[in-house]
Amino acid sequence: MQKQSMWSLKFSTAALVLIPTAVGINYIGKLFAGLLKLPLWLDSIGTVLASILAGPIIGALAGAVNNVIYGLTVDPISFVYGITSVAIGLAVGILCYKGWLSSWSKAALAGLIVGLVATIVSTPINIGFWGGQTGNVWGDALYAIVLAKTDSVWLASFLDEIVVDVPDKLLVVLISFAIYRGLPGSVSQMYNNSNKFESLD
Amino acid sequence: MTKIIADNLKYKYPLSDKLALDNISFKVEKGEFIGIIGANKAGKSTLCQALTGLVPHFYKGAYGGKVFVDGLEVKEHSIAEISLKAGIVFQNPFTQMTGSKMTVYEEIAFGLENLGIAREEMQKQIDHAMELMDIASLKERNPFDLSGGQMQRLAIASIIAMNPEIIVLDEPTSQLDPEGSEEVFLAVQLLSRQGVTVIMAEHKMEKVAKYCDRILLLYNGEIIDFDTPGKIFSRDDLKQYGVVPPIFTSVCRELGVKKSGTDEYPVTLEEARAALGRKVK
Amino acid sequence: MKQISLYADRNSFVHDLDPISKLYYILFSILVPVILPSISVTLICSFLSIILLLLAKVFKKALPVFLLVFIVLITVVIIQGLFRPGNETIFLKIGPAVFYKEGLLYALKVTLRVTDIVGAFLILVLTTKPSDLVESLVRRGLSPRIGYVVISVFQIIPEMTSTMSTIMDAQRARGLETEGNLITRIKAFIPLLGPVVLGSLVNTKERAMALEVRGFNAQGNKTFLNEEKTSVLSKPIQLGLLLIVVMAFVWRLLT
Repeated sequence: MQKQSMWSLKFSTAALVLIPTAVGINYIGKLFAGLLKLPLWLDSIGTVLASILAGPIIGALAGAVNNVIYGLTVDPISFVYGITSVAIGLAVGILCYKGWLSSWSKAALAGLIVGLVATIVSTPINIGFWGGQTGNVWGDALYAIVLAKTDSVWLASFLDEIVVDVPDKLLVVLISFAIYRGLPGSVSQMYNNSNKFESLD
Repeated sequence: MTKIIADNLKYKYPLSDKLALDNISFKVEKGEFIGIIGANKAGKSTLCQALTGLVPHFYKGAYGGKVFVDGLEVKEHSIAEISLKAGIVFQNPFTQMTGSKMTVYEEIAFGLENLGIAREEMQKQIDHAMELMDIASLKERNPFDLSGGQMQRLAIASIIAMNPEIIVLDEPTSQLDPEGSEEVFLAVQLLSRQGVTVIMAEHKMEKVAKYCDRILLLYNGEIIDFDTPGKIFSRDDLKQYGVVPPIFTSVCRELGVKKSGTDEYPVTLEEARAALGRKVK
Repeated sequence: MKQISLYADRNSFVHDLDPISKLYYILFSILVPVILPSISVTLICSFLSIILLLLAKVFKKALPVFLLVFIVLITVVIIQGLFRPGNETIFLKIGPAVFYKEGLLYALKVTLRVTDIVGAFLILVLTTKPSDLVESLVRRGLSPRIGYVVISVFQIIPEMTSTMSTIMDAQRARGLETEGNLITRIKAFIPLLGPVVLGSLVNTKERAMALEVRGFNAQGNKTFLNEEKTSVLSKPIQLGLLLIVVMAFVWRLLT
């Protein structure tokens, strides 16, 4: 079967309906993480799953919609970080298309890359908006230390973000991978648009 | 007037190597109430979806033969175009709610907005559909706050507001409690009396026997028989197709009581009562 | 049905304004302080937003959001006051901690900027029904399919949250450990999330079919059940805001 280009803008309705579901999964992931008192956000599992199932564009849209909704319902600052969510969706979709999500070790590596991408995109936003901090206690403590020692806002901010984002995204990608592998074929095949007509006449 | 023609329809889902429908040919006349029965996986849902264009357009896959609904060839027209001729209602009322509308009234409008119906016409059609489904009093309620039976009637109203000549129902009461089921069956019967052609896949054979003019018996994706309830339920070989006839039929068969002047067993309470009463006298 | 939107239904002229004018206001609140980056300009913009929130009778609902933001801002004040590169002039000594004027001024700027932007967004969010906002955008060319996606989230999240509590109870009843050390708690995560994800993915297929048979992919123009909310003030407000942005820009170039 010919694989469809990952950049196709011809979405099936199922792929579009996947977007609100992905936002819901993000939300539930965050709630469960809170209920289990886990020290991470785990609030991008839906975005990552959407990317794995339906490609980078749907993943990016899921990320964007996620932050718009967060901005409208919880915290208006989320709007600004929508760019990071879009980047996460794109990164996972591309990595997945290139075959990186085929084994646990590769998925772990993909998780690290996604964490790095998120950090690179978030750092300028942190600097522009907050003067470089993230609002996470551990990250900000590191920020303060680095800033006191080196005088580099960029380095301090980058490190502040990376210690928070990389472990989080690593775990998010691994959890999404575990869930994806557990899905029945009829579900995981539903969103790709590559099925073709054949004639039986 | 013939509303549905299926001519040697064959269909195979993507990634499957078995035909889900094979050699399906039948015709349905305007205003008929048709039941589709058969075991699980017999192809009931697939056939329902083939009458509304979801097969093949939603799934893709391998397709052969022709299906016409109200003169439109299904394969050659989009699902949106076919929706003006034939609407479909599914099992789960919950997933049929769009999730984007805050009131029952707006929910019904969803399809009409998409089809570009003018506002005044839209309001007329919504009011008509609400009245038929007896949900006008729920107009301002949130769709997700309704009971299962109310929600399913809303799903039907949302479809009939689009004014299709044909309505297909795929086990519309399988997820409802008895009370909700009864509400839905009565609503569908009312539609049928209005002259709408109804196709209903259903497990509850007493209901099929009561409401349907003719029954299509499916097994392994093929049509075994297409006839009146009396003929279908009087078959001796129903068991091998995974179908249990209505309780009235089974009882009369045990007793050897047939409808007067026919070779058929009674299929409804009324028929059984008439036949048994005659016997008792 | 539980609503997750922050929208507060009140009677005010801000509520009566169309959503697009409020989007113009957000743009105005972001751009003007960027073009004229002085503390006084940002202060004026922030005050304007707060006054509008008061007039819209939603200031009380805005407070918790501001509070959340200010908690983060406190750390900004502390860290920038203590460690900002370029800190020279001592402003305040508390024990061993030395706060510098430069850092504190910078923190003040950040605080005002955040207040300004958050305030402008809150005006939109607290006084506009999400569905009205999306419908306005669809009328102006946003794809109705994308509009649907955004709006449906508001109902899908409460639906999934209720499934979630059912699953939480069921899994606990089956003996799943949800307390204890970190590893135990991480291990509990997948049995909790997995069923919600699977169920909701299966639902996407049925919902997609239900949407398609209701003309979701229909060609041609769609119509709207509700008439568009317009106000005589819309055009003057939008033009006025644009004019101020342009004037700010000219001012910046001239001085």
